[in-house]
Amino acid sequence: MTDIIVLLLLQALFASVPILLASIGEILTERSGVVNIGLEGIMLLGALAAPLFVDFLHSRTSLPDWAWPLIGLLAAVAVGALVGAVHAYVATYLAGDQIISGVAINLFGAGAVAYGIQAYWGVAGYKQVPEWAKAEPWTLVLFALLTASFMWYVLKKSRLGIVIRACGEDPEAAYNMGIDVNKVRFYATVAGSSLTALAGAYLSLAYLSVVTKELSAGRGFIALANVVFSNWNPLLAVVGAYLFGFFDALSYWLQTLGVARYEVTRMIPYIATLLIVAGVVGRAKPPRALGKAFRRE
Amino acid sequence: MSGYLVSTLGVLAALAVAFVAGAVAMWASGYNPLASYSAMLVTPFTDYVYLLSALAFSAPIVLTGLTFAVGLRAGLFNIGAEGQVYIGALGAVVASYIFKDFMALPIAFVLGVGLAVAWSLAPAVLKTSRGVNEVISTIMMNWIAYWLAIMAVSTVFANPLQPEESVKTPEQARLTPLLPGTDFTLAVPISYLFVLLVYMFITRSVWGFRLSISGRSPIVAKSYGISPERSILLAFIVGAVAAGTAGVLQVVARPPSYSLMRNLANVYGLGFDGITAAMLGRGHPVGVLLAGVFLGVLQEGARHMQIQAGTPFEFVRVIQGVIILLLAVQLFRR
Repeated sequence: MTDIIVLLLLQALFASVPILLASIGEILTERSGVVNIGLEGIMLLGALAAPLFVDFLHSRTSLPDWAWPLIGLLAAVAVGALVGAVHAYVATYLAGDQIISGVAINLFGAGAVAYGIQAYWGVAGYKQVPEWAKAEPWTLVLFALLTASFMWYVLKKSRLGIVIRACGEDPEAAYNMGIDVNKVRFYATVAGSSLTALAGAYLSLAYLSVVTKELSAGRGFIALANVVFSNWNPLLAVVGAYLFGFFDALSYWLQTLGVARYEVTRMIPYIATLLIVAGVVGRAKPPRALGKAFRRE
Repeated sequence: MSGYLVSTLGVLAALAVAFVAGAVAMWASGYNPLASYSAMLVTPFTDYVYLLSALAFSAPIVLTGLTFAVGLRAGLFNIGAEGQVYIGALGAVVASYIFKDFMALPIAFVLGVGLAVAWSLAPAVLKTSRGVNEVISTIMMNWIAYWLAIMAVSTVFANPLQPEESVKTPEQARLTPLLPGTDFTLAVPISYLFVLLVYMFITRSVWGFRLSISGRSPIVAKSYGISPERSILLAFIVGAVAAGTAGVLQVVARPPSYSLMRNLANVYGLGFDGITAAMLGRGHPVGVLLAGVFLGVLQEGARHMQIQAGTPFEFVRVIQGVIILLLAVQLFRR
């Protein structure tokens, strides 16, 4: 019995990684004053970009075996940075609507992944990741935990963190202190989006070893919920991500035990997310200038 | 009037840029953009069967577009139409399972719309009582609805004769094509009638007025004695009626299957198409109608594109994403 419980807790850790990476990214972005609800789409794009680029390169060059997963992860980060730059540009210099831009990224991501799988591999909506491209989940577990600690340090203890938070709390004052608010927001959004795309690459290269058009399965939005849960604190986001990951793992665990049909157990993470968010939302305190474009006349 | 002209030009410019960007993407992934676009945008107009099929595609998109548009009026980003369509369709399937005669039709509407409204109340109440962000809660409800519908269709309501779909609507209860040989059923006029109703609701009724005020500024609304919470609730309910109807119609009025597919293929993505319709239509009911018809043509065209040029159907969603991104820049900048 203890073995099974340990296994469940371990599975929860693996399930929490994508939610954690995306949450840390979004915390950074939102602390600077930009809201990006396109996490789901960016995650999907990262999940597609990693195996696709590796596959493309593998058929053209030869590299040592250990390089392939790394290249895949970096490809996802690059795609995340690119999409993040588009959202950041809309959100800052163009002063566009950040929610609508996020919705657009989600639609684009869902479409691009379905289209990309079909266009590149010629299969409808499902592609197995080859063995040689798979990444080791443990490295990304460690990376996610280290990034969370690092982000906490940066945001809470460093000068850069004060600058970022100032842009999210009171951009006017930040501007008067000589800070280029839009530039800070731009790079915070690009970095946040890159981490989210890495979460997607973890899903396809390390965790599920497959690319589908529904691969992210709402994890981007669960990460958004976790940002609220953690009250924009990267260390609390670790706790939250583990909690959300636990319900994700629990649903597969119950399915394996044959407790209920898999359709029933798959509902668990979403129901849990709803309940958790409903429980904590009153205490959460978002950055004051969140989602508002900053313009100097 | 010049305001309308400017915003129409803005929408057209966004469309043009999106299609050019799409052409580059197609070319880069090895498809022929010219052949694809001609199949997508011209073929639907070459035969009245295709054109009527495009209108049939537009019907549910118009309805889910109204869901999002009414939400926007009340200051909400209600992206729950997707799940409410599933639940509406499920309601129609339940009605078809219980009744084997004409009665299945009215009961389908009552059950489908009723369940969809009930489904929307969870995010609505979480929003008004706990302040839970509706983007998160509606997406969660969509996923719960997704698994619920799949489970229902694979178990109790499975079709013993055809494992890929649910029980079919009884023949007497079906809304069959008004023109034989086409997909044009009563679903199209019903959906377009909804546009008129929602338009009247928003512009002519006191409730619609209160809803718009609350959406513009909850503080102003309160100072006039209008309850923003009640407006939010109302916007969710009106939206769910539209989305639920879309789900019911996809089952009772959609040849040839008259059922819910086990993989939800005939309802999947309709809620998200509605977001595009509402954005393109600038949140105005008539705009939603025009945009819905345009998206219907794209859907019909995408079928021809896949057959004639080999370009995957999903390309339409890529284009939609780009269009909305471009609109995000110009939209609602007051």
